[in-house]
Amino acid sequence: MIPFLGRSLVQKTITLFFVSVISFAVVHLAPGEPSQVDPLNPKFTKEVVERFRQQFHLDKPLYQQYLLFYRDLFAGKSTSWKDGRSVLGKICDRFINSLPLFIVGTLITWTLSFPVGIQAAIKRGGKYDRTTTFLAYLLISIPGFFFAYVLIIFVVSTFQVPVIGMTTFGLSGAGYLTRIMDRVWHLLLPSILGATAGIAVLSRYVRNQMLEVEGQDYVRTARAKGLPEEQVHYKHALRNALLPFVTMFGLVLPGLIGGSVIIESIFSWPGIGRMAYEAILARDYPVIITVNFISAILVLVGTFLSDLLYMVVDPRIKI
Amino acid sequence: MQDSASEHTMSGETFELPPQQTRLEEFWVQLRKNRLALAGMVIFGFFLVVAVVGMLLTSGTSPFLDPSLVRLQEKLRPPLSGPNLESLLPEEVPPLGVYLLGTDELGRDVFARMLQGAWVSLTVGFVAVGIAVVIGVFLGGLSGYYGQNPIRLGQVLLLFLAIWMVVGWSRLSSLYLVILGVVVMIVLMAMLLQGRERSRGLLSLLNAQLLSVDALITGLIDIMLCFPSFFLILTVVALLPASIYNIMIIIGLTSWMGAARFVRAEFLSLREQDFVTAARALGVSDWRVIFRHMVPNAIAPVLVSATIGIAGAILTEAGLSFLGFGVPPPHATWGNILSDGKNYLFDAPWLTIIPGLAILVVVLSFNLFGEGLRDILNPKLRERH
Amino acid sequence: MTTRRLLIALPIIVLLFLLQSYFWVPTYEEQTRGNPQRLVEYVAASIGDAQLLNPTLSADSASSDINGLVFEGLLDYDENLNFRPRLATSWEIYEEAYFYVNEEAAVPGVGKVDARVLVRLINQAREEHAAREDPLSRSLSNIEAVESLPPRQFQRQISEASSEGNKTEVRLRISAPARIKLTLYGVDQDLFNNLAQLLGPGYFPSFRAEQYIVVEPAELEVKKKEYAQSYLPATEHNPVIIFNLRPGVKFQDGHVFNAHDVKFTYDSIMDPANVSPRLPDYEPIKSVEVLDPLTLRIVYKRLYSPALGTWMMGILPEHLLNGKALGEEARRRGLDPEKMSIRQSSFNRNPIGCGPFAFREWKSDQYILLDRFNDYWDGPANYLKYGYRIVPDVLTQEMEFYAGTVDSYGVQPHQVQRLKDDPRYQSFSGLSFGYTYIGYNLRREPFDDVRVREALGMAVDVDKIIRYVLYGQGERITGPFPKQTDFYEHAIQPLPCDPEGALRLLAEAGWKRNKQGWLEKNGKRLEFTLITNQGNNIRKAILSIVQDSWRKIGVDVRTDLLEWAVFIQERVNKLDFDALVLGWAMGIEPDLYQIWHSSQIGPYQLNFVGFKNREADELIIKIRQEYNREQQVAYCHRLHQIIAEEQPYTFLYVGKWTALLDKRIVIMERDKDGQVHYEKIKPTKTGNYTFYFNKWIKLPEMPTFAAEG
Repeated sequence: MIPFLGRSLVQKTITLFFVSVISFAVVHLAPGEPSQVDPLNPKFTKEVVERFRQQFHLDKPLYQQYLLFYRDLFAGKSTSWKDGRSVLGKICDRFINSLPLFIVGTLITWTLSFPVGIQAAIKRGGKYDRTTTFLAYLLISIPGFFFAYVLIIFVVSTFQVPVIGMTTFGLSGAGYLTRIMDRVWHLLLPSILGATAGIAVLSRYVRNQMLEVEGQDYVRTARAKGLPEEQVHYKHALRNALLPFVTMFGLVLPGLIGGSVIIESIFSWPGIGRMAYEAILARDYPVIITVNFISAILVLVGTFLSDLLYMVVDPRIKI
Repeated sequence: MQDSASEHTMSGETFELPPQQTRLEEFWVQLRKNRLALAGMVIFGFFLVVAVVGMLLTSGTSPFLDPSLVRLQEKLRPPLSGPNLESLLPEEVPPLGVYLLGTDELGRDVFARMLQGAWVSLTVGFVAVGIAVVIGVFLGGLSGYYGQNPIRLGQVLLLFLAIWMVVGWSRLSSLYLVILGVVVMIVLMAMLLQGRERSRGLLSLLNAQLLSVDALITGLIDIMLCFPSFFLILTVVALLPASIYNIMIIIGLTSWMGAARFVRAEFLSLREQDFVTAARALGVSDWRVIFRHMVPNAIAPVLVSATIGIAGAILTEAGLSFLGFGVPPPHATWGNILSDGKNYLFDAPWLTIIPGLAILVVVLSFNLFGEGLRDILNPKLRERH
Repeated sequence: MTTRRLLIALPIIVLLFLLQSYFWVPTYEEQTRGNPQRLVEYVAASIGDAQLLNPTLSADSASSDINGLVFEGLLDYDENLNFRPRLATSWEIYEEAYFYVNEEAAVPGVGKVDARVLVRLINQAREEHAAREDPLSRSLSNIEAVESLPPRQFQRQISEASSEGNKTEVRLRISAPARIKLTLYGVDQDLFNNLAQLLGPGYFPSFRAEQYIVVEPAELEVKKKEYAQSYLPATEHNPVIIFNLRPGVKFQDGHVFNAHDVKFTYDSIMDPANVSPRLPDYEPIKSVEVLDPLTLRIVYKRLYSPALGTWMMGILPEHLLNGKALGEEARRRGLDPEKMSIRQSSFNRNPIGCGPFAFREWKSDQYILLDRFNDYWDGPANYLKYGYRIVPDVLTQEMEFYAGTVDSYGVQPHQVQRLKDDPRYQSFSGLSFGYTYIGYNLRREPFDDVRVREALGMAVDVDKIIRYVLYGQGERITGPFPKQTDFYEHAIQPLPCDPEGALRLLAEAGWKRNKQGWLEKNGKRLEFTLITNQGNNIRKAILSIVQDSWRKIGVDVRTDLLEWAVFIQERVNKLDFDALVLGWAMGIEPDLYQIWHSSQIGPYQLNFVGFKNREADELIIKIRQEYNREQQVAYCHRLHQIIAEEQPYTFLYVGKWTALLDKRIVIMERDKDGQVHYEKIKPTKTGNYTFYFNKWIKLPEMPTFAAEG
């Protein structure tokens, strides 16, 4: 196990290095310049632009810029070009905003997908199965922003309550509980929207996994023994079907930083996705690269964790 | 897929079995059982026809339906409203005599735009996924087939030399010289790849084995998987000049990893199959073995995921359009009709609803059809239904 | 089965918990009716977040919205766009003009003269011309005092970068001759031109400054003329502004404002470490002196008529940002005190100024909250709080406005018809300070011919664009000045939409229609590409309309939409375009130097169309230097006329904005007896409806105004 961990760690570090190079290169090799050096703004004279370029090291050769950037990043000193704030601080702020969305979204996805998927597998081929299959695909197939507008207009016009933003503005005088519930309410729509695709995919996956396991000999044996159907499904089959899902917990990790740009823009949710999007618009290179870099780290850590979990859960696998 | 491959070899051996259903017949029987998939296929087919007809009707110098004809005096007319003949020049009157799906904020005929958009959206989906499949099959096949072959130090050095020279040359001289240089380098590389004779001394260092082809390609896949895909696409699309080709290429370049993994896994198992061993024993060239024998057996799951991938590409394009980075005019796509229309949600709801529903239905049909295909092509799953 | 029950119960519990939160959220009615807090809070919405809350550093509109409330300048504009005192109670502008005694030049009728004689000569002339009305007499009677300054010797060190990049230290030894100082009552840009009548036309130009300068090392002798220009100019205008500051004004932290804060603000803009985008505004300043804590003397290096307007910028508190404060902050945050500049300071996210609202909280991309500043010198505002929400999607902004969680909404053109007469809202509209145009690259064929440009302009039906693209929310414009100011010459008529006339003009210029209907000259088709940036729907629409109308007269025009950065960097900056659709945001000051002067036509400069006109150049300079408003207006009208004749742009339109406010928002005033009375919000003559913002308040019910009916 230890050699596996070591090997895996080395491999991931190498991968990370290449990711860092690629994300740096993609951003810096693209045509155009950061908006801080926007020369069409009559307020920016040539000297000002030149000074900005110097401050951002844009006048240095690319490999030096690369080294300088990652040196600053690892020292925690890199700052956004747009507003001069620390990049990590900015990401941290946004991360805290995105976190509730992520948690509620994941909660909805994971709790809902299992019963739906299992039920579909049990009643395979039936009306329920076909309906859920159809619904699942319907959810994947709607353009996200279209769905969001439809939902918002529906909720706003029928229930007459605000849904935009993280809280109802101007509610600062209200009680503690009210404020918490207000936040929960504002979480509801965006997290449902964010979870739709997840629910669809995961419930389908649960269904297929259940079907796979139900075809196995030991389930047939259990059934042949005359155990009640429910026990066969929920005890013998489910337990084994669950195995691969344990490893999927690791893969949830990257979602932490991958807030949806579109949903966050529509709901004016100040999350990571929107920050990254605005950074792209302003060509705020440090923020773009750092977000990419951190999400790559999360992906790698996630796969690492899921490998580990798999080893722990499935004794047959020895690496 | 293992199963379909073994079916192949079996049928070669057992002559006495009654003639089997042809694959197509079998496919058809299975499809008819899966009504959702059937419906998906019908809509899919209908959409293909609409896209082709739409392309024919709306392209050319003087198309039957002109999607870019601006009639400002007729803007934001609701669906099925007739044109106001007095204010239009004769050539501006819609040929159908009615605005089937209304007009947009510039008075362009939404019906014509939707028709044109069908073709463009489809092209975006097909080309993007096509790129992904080609890269995926190539790299996946390479990795699965040549997987264990090591890459030698000399090859890496040569590659760096080539890159360095190309960069150097491209500054100095013309494109032709660069291409010539690249060709020479490739030939040299191939020679080194073939070169199995032992060399001595310092030269043997060049033969030092670094890592296998497989490790290199799976490494590349891992690297690509590290990027958050929509964010990466958005970054690149936003930073590059907007063009329909960039969008297709970028979606393609960021979504080949699934196909590569599929093909790699298939190849790894196919390599060990008897028919491949036999073919190689007969002295059939690697090239032929790969493309004649292995790819056809490995391609089915790739095609399934490609069908779903097209749906994904159409949605991605719509999402990019929403953020203002979709396919730029003059190409109309359903994505940009939808995202332009949303600004008029309260004043002209049809501009949002029509393309929104159209995307929904088509993407849904692609997904259902793709999923049905997967079930049909995978007999292991089939028998459990 | 427990597993099964658990599996089903879990999602139900989660969903129920989420859904029940609905009952805690106030509906729209409750928000405004039952919540008195909400009535004393004004909520605005913005598409983008602020960047830096520091008026000397920020360059975006969201930041300036907030900075305008938190900070206060020395003066600002009143209802009629005239200056009105804020932190300054009054100001006085005069001029000190200098010229070197030219010992070699002969003054007509007198011969060569020295400084003493010159002074006497000028004084004599002043008496003789006292009652006359010619330009020279006017200049002479404007002189308050004449004084001669003795010759002096001084040195200058400059470092000169050679073409190879290495720097050489240059030392200049200057022994300047005697100088005459003229103190004027008012600024007079023609002073030296007029004095030349008295002293002879060659008196100023023939001043040979080089002879007074010794350059070390001698290799750089070649640059002597250049040095002479900058260190010994024959004549020099030094306009002076004296500001008298308001006593007892406090910053929001209680610290009392004085002249040192103003000087500090100036110094921090000039400090290269801060990289202030405001630098060009203040570069013409020679010195800022604090005469006493409430009096400031600002001397300019040269004539610069926008000078007064630049002091509208918010004043920074010195005590929070000076070297000592920054050093402390750097130590606290573990940064290098040497490298610490205002740009790095946390002040930019926690600003403190003298404005009517004090900063409280900023959540990035969520909101910025301000509290009323109770010690505001002009009396506290009526609203207790100001909320600035960031809602990036226009559609959701609109929904939030309907919902009552945003108090104002900038209506999009296509919605004006529907919302303008909505009884729930009050609406305001006015012209914006920006215009949209089609610019032609005058360096390229066929745009070097004014007839082609005019014809192209005549072929476009601008009224149609305004009517259909802007839904009537725009007005035609004929020149580069804001239409609501005096600088705009209203007598100039816009080009008529006349495709026939356009064809005639083109025929005059040699362009004839060929068999396919395309315009041709010497076998070459009239073809070019019209480009604009992406992401602006209106420009996109204009592009297709213009393309359509030009094709109708046989111009083969292609169109292209480019991403902003690429559009600017690759096309505009490198002057690689035929024609483009773009807009300019205008200031109130009529300075057109950067956009229209012929010295600004290089790559990376703003006169990218390459407009060159001698008279226009002169006028632009004169406008820049003229301190007399009437005279300035006259120059502007002439300049406007030239540009309209030359048609380097096809001026399209200036947009109209419409804003909606909740009808319950009114102006509340207290008279001397403490009696409260309400008034409807009225825009100023220039259309600014937020002018009396400090007096606004929201009422629980819509008021009825007896007087207005």
